[in-house]
Amino acid sequence: MRLSRQEISRIFPVFVISLFCITVIAGLLGTLLPSMNYLPVIGNTRFSLSVWFDFFSYPGIQTSILVTLFSGLTASFGVVILALLFITVSYGNALWKFFEKILSSVLSIPHAAFAIGFGFLIAPSGWLIRMVSPGLTGFTYPPDWILLNDPAGISLAIALVIKEFPFLIMVTMGALGQLDIEKTLLTGRALGYKKEQIWLKILIPRLYPHLRLSIFAIIAYSLSVVDMAIILGPSSPPPLAVLILKWFNDPDMSFKLIAAAGSLFLFFIVLLSILSVYFIERSVGGFSRRWILNGSRHSFLGSFKRVIFFMGSCTIVFTLVSSVILVIWSLTWQWRFPDFLPDAWTLKFWTKGLVSSLDPVITTLFTGMAAAFIGLILTIGCLEHDVNSQKNQIRKNKASNYNKTLYYFLYLPLLVPQITFMTGIQLLLVIMKMDGYWITLMGSHLLFVLPYMFIVLSTTYQAFDRRLTDQAMLLKGSYTMVLFRIKLPMLLRPILFSFAIGFSVSVAQYIPTILVGAGKFSTITTEVVSIASGSDRRIIAVYALIQQFLPMMMYALAIIIPKSLYYNRKGMEV
Amino acid sequence: MRHFFLILLGLTLLSGFSQAFAQEWGEVETAAKGQTVYFNAWGGSQPINEYIAWASGVVQKKYGVRVIHVKAADIGDVVSRILVEKAAKKHKNGSVDLMWINGENFKAMKENRLLYGPFSQKLPNYHLVDTENKKTVLYDFTISVDNMESPWGMAQLVFLYDTKPVPEHPKSMLDLLVFARENPGRFTYPALPGFHGTTFIKQALFELISDPDALNHPVIQSDFEKNTRPLWDYLDTLHSFLWRKGKVFPTSASQMLSLLNDNEIFISLSFNPNSASNAIENGELPDTVRTYIHTSGTIGNAHFVGIPFNSSAKKGAMVFANFLLSPEAQAKKADPEIWGDPTVLDIRKLTGKNKALFDAVPKGIATLTPNELGQVLPEPHVSWVQALEKKWLKRYSK
Amino acid sequence: MSLELEKVSILKLGSTIFDPVNLVIKPGEITTVMGPSGCGKSTLLSAVSGSLDRAFTLNGSIRLYGRELLNQPMEERNIGILFQDDLLFPHMDIGSNLAFAIKEKTSRAQRNRIINKALKTAGLKGFEKRDPSSLSGGQKARISLLRSLLAEPAALLLDEPFSTLDQILKAKIRPFVFSQIRRMNIPALLVTHDPLDCPEGGMILNLKKEEG
Repeated sequence: MRLSRQEISRIFPVFVISLFCITVIAGLLGTLLPSMNYLPVIGNTRFSLSVWFDFFSYPGIQTSILVTLFSGLTASFGVVILALLFITVSYGNALWKFFEKILSSVLSIPHAAFAIGFGFLIAPSGWLIRMVSPGLTGFTYPPDWILLNDPAGISLAIALVIKEFPFLIMVTMGALGQLDIEKTLLTGRALGYKKEQIWLKILIPRLYPHLRLSIFAIIAYSLSVVDMAIILGPSSPPPLAVLILKWFNDPDMSFKLIAAAGSLFLFFIVLLSILSVYFIERSVGGFSRRWILNGSRHSFLGSFKRVIFFMGSCTIVFTLVSSVILVIWSLTWQWRFPDFLPDAWTLKFWTKGLVSSLDPVITTLFTGMAAAFIGLILTIGCLEHDVNSQKNQIRKNKASNYNKTLYYFLYLPLLVPQITFMTGIQLLLVIMKMDGYWITLMGSHLLFVLPYMFIVLSTTYQAFDRRLTDQAMLLKGSYTMVLFRIKLPMLLRPILFSFAIGFSVSVAQYIPTILVGAGKFSTITTEVVSIASGSDRRIIAVYALIQQFLPMMMYALAIIIPKSLYYNRKGMEV
Repeated sequence: MRHFFLILLGLTLLSGFSQAFAQEWGEVETAAKGQTVYFNAWGGSQPINEYIAWASGVVQKKYGVRVIHVKAADIGDVVSRILVEKAAKKHKNGSVDLMWINGENFKAMKENRLLYGPFSQKLPNYHLVDTENKKTVLYDFTISVDNMESPWGMAQLVFLYDTKPVPEHPKSMLDLLVFARENPGRFTYPALPGFHGTTFIKQALFELISDPDALNHPVIQSDFEKNTRPLWDYLDTLHSFLWRKGKVFPTSASQMLSLLNDNEIFISLSFNPNSASNAIENGELPDTVRTYIHTSGTIGNAHFVGIPFNSSAKKGAMVFANFLLSPEAQAKKADPEIWGDPTVLDIRKLTGKNKALFDAVPKGIATLTPNELGQVLPEPHVSWVQALEKKWLKRYSK
Repeated sequence: MSLELEKVSILKLGSTIFDPVNLVIKPGEITTVMGPSGCGKSTLLSAVSGSLDRAFTLNGSIRLYGRELLNQPMEERNIGILFQDDLLFPHMDIGSNLAFAIKEKTSRAQRNRIINKALKTAGLKGFEKRDPSSLSGGQKARISLLRSLLAEPAALLLDEPFSTLDQILKAKIRPFVFSQIRRMNIPALLVTHDPLDCPEGGMILNLKKEEG
């Protein structure tokens, strides 16, 4: 019996969903058991709740939890509100177009590299203060101000907003394609509403559901971020995720128990926050109905416009400046306060760095490209399955009823803190003797690469005009030929962009590489984190810049390749 | 007659012994050829990374052993991994063949039987180690080493200061408090729990406690409050004059180096008496920085390399560990232009070419002579560490 | 109360798209603009509504109730538009779609009355809670018109409003649209390529360009 196309392509979503579920659940189990005092390797075989008691009575734990909640939630709310307001006031204008062009370079900067650069920018001995010292400030020695690592986590929250803002804008740009914006604006304006009002009352409520899962991912990340928290967050006590990592690495083995309990508690906080945000969304939806329908046509945003432009541009400026600082540090021999530029330069660290980083860079390239490639195959497989299983013709721009459950499962690795389930995975892999193999390393990266690739590719893919493929199939009669010679080549640009994103996600993975790679594989990121635990900013800068360069190169290729392939095809231009 | 035979017997046994020893070691070297050793060591210092790369190169050429330096951000990661491997019953082909450890990590590994050994007595260069004067190569954190790890280098708490803003350096903890009062925000120490911060606290306790001998014995809970009272009073006062008013602490001594370079602080601390010289050589610190210690002497210890129980390249690891103990490797390590880490060897036991290697080691511009380094204070009993860390966290980590 | 176009011409890259237009539309009158595709009918409409693309330049004068419209932003002109797509907001029910158009400072009770009345006129009584996507093409067209009219515009523009409907529906909807416009007594400008769309007795303008 011949299987229909739909049944064959079902293998993709089934495979992806099962892989993700099994991994995450297995990981969670591996964390659940020690949290109940079950860790035979150190002699604990009796289940007990004492671990939780120890966790909650650790000195400073309440402050740590509060700091985590404060920095994580303010950052998340901040970035969402800033992004939504930014779209409202900037859509279509010059600033927006500039953003569209520069987005990929900004996105490719890894979190740790940005945090290091940003830290140096705002520190009391940092660049901003050096710019005005001793001239305006009279400082010959740095002031003793708490600008970084403040106990409340404000500098961490600000850095998170700056880093997450481009990501959210990118997701939004993808979703906006589905919304028929121009016509909606015209209709609204014809009814007498100002543009901003139309955005706030009509377009954003339609946009938000497309952003929902990405916003949840942002919440999860902000609450469980480790590398940025180490560099910019408070130190005593640090946020919960940092504390958990410290416990896992503590020579006193019994700390592994409260580390497990802590990471489950962190997961619980993330879950609770996501649910709260969901309920807030529902109730805001209810309350705002009245405001939406009250007929008021004025925009209160008028005076805020400038502020919002400013804040939006600041995120880009800060990100770029952080990279510039790294470049300067990488060429520095001696750079002391309050000099604006180093007083002695050198290329020594670049020559050393390029040579010693060669092996990790090769590993990073292979792993990243393999993970992105496989991720691409799986993503396209799932998306094609969607297309095949639709019964009706989709109207262009109408949101289709694709398999929403797939979407939720895909997001699972993004919503559960890495530290919570990866340690369980490590144990399982060692037991199954699968640790330390490149395949498993690449597989662990795939877990995080896939969701991002899917987010990025799905909206454009769904919006593809079916009539083109229908027409082609009538002409050729072969599904695979049409797929590979018509549909995919037409989607080259978004596919390559998705590939670049998958690659950069793989480059940035730290915890999975450390745990699954079993020390046999060093990527540029594990090198950066290890070197960043020292203090020589010069070599740290070199490695961080190399780490940045790899994804940037991919993004550049993603732009150049379609341009050169289709240089004479105006219809392929976006 | 009897004496003659006894002596003859002794000499025969001795030579037989050393013959057997040499033969055994020869077998180790042969078996090690072609092995790959994954050496897990902290990667946060470029000079150290380069030294390790050099040593790996020599060992590859001379002994055919391939050493791969796995840069760890935190050796605790590595210990965790070995523990997981033990839990999964992975008794062979462990992911780590040799690791750089000391102190609490050693204690944890020894107690959980994660180490292979005893092995260091098998290393030919081990007999050059100064076990007489450098007692800390035998007792790591007051835990008896029992040849379960091989010594690599020495550490002693020293203070670094920038002579430009600080012409006169403090000579004791109390002096330090005076300095802090006059220069608020210009000193700090790394957060506890952490090897560096804890040792600073231990040093302070040593200088402030009324009965220093109590530190050599296990902590007596009932006396703890009384004994440590002067320490907490001291810290309570000191913290208000610390960098960031004690609300933020650096995460490690190496982070403090860049704070010193930025002049956010004027006084820093380190465990490598040569770190200032090395940093100046490297451009990491200005050449106005010098080193000092307190007149009471400062705490010192040693650091080691160990072999996990499940390594499948144990022989290769031992060959590398032996090379690290060689006069050639130790002298190069002690050179402040390379790393500046003090040797564990007894220089008096060295002759001829080997001794010349050490004579040639330049003295760092900011390094104290062995005389100036004065008395090395012993570590307190290991039980004090946990008690102090717990109390510190309770008081200051809110 | 009229909509007046005087010597209106639109230039693209320096050359005019069509010959200058002179028009006076009295309240309740519907003028149809016709011409071959690509002749600039929709562009003329966008000039009147205030949404002219920046690539074009406008010459001449457009007046509504004697007021010059030229530099007024679109949302202040009080001119409604009906497109060929109904453009009902898909995430709101029919009632909310209509309510959105109603001027502010209207109480909820009053709004509901207005909506009710409007739905009754269109023969769609009781449709307030319905999902727009559940309506037929003809029903959607009617709601769309109602929405534009509930904003109480001073003039109405129609850009090929019936082109997505079949002939039978067109025959039903057309008279409804025209009667509403007459009832509201506002000038209307209709663009179409279907001669059957022209209302009886209404003026027809053929947009053309002098070759020369």
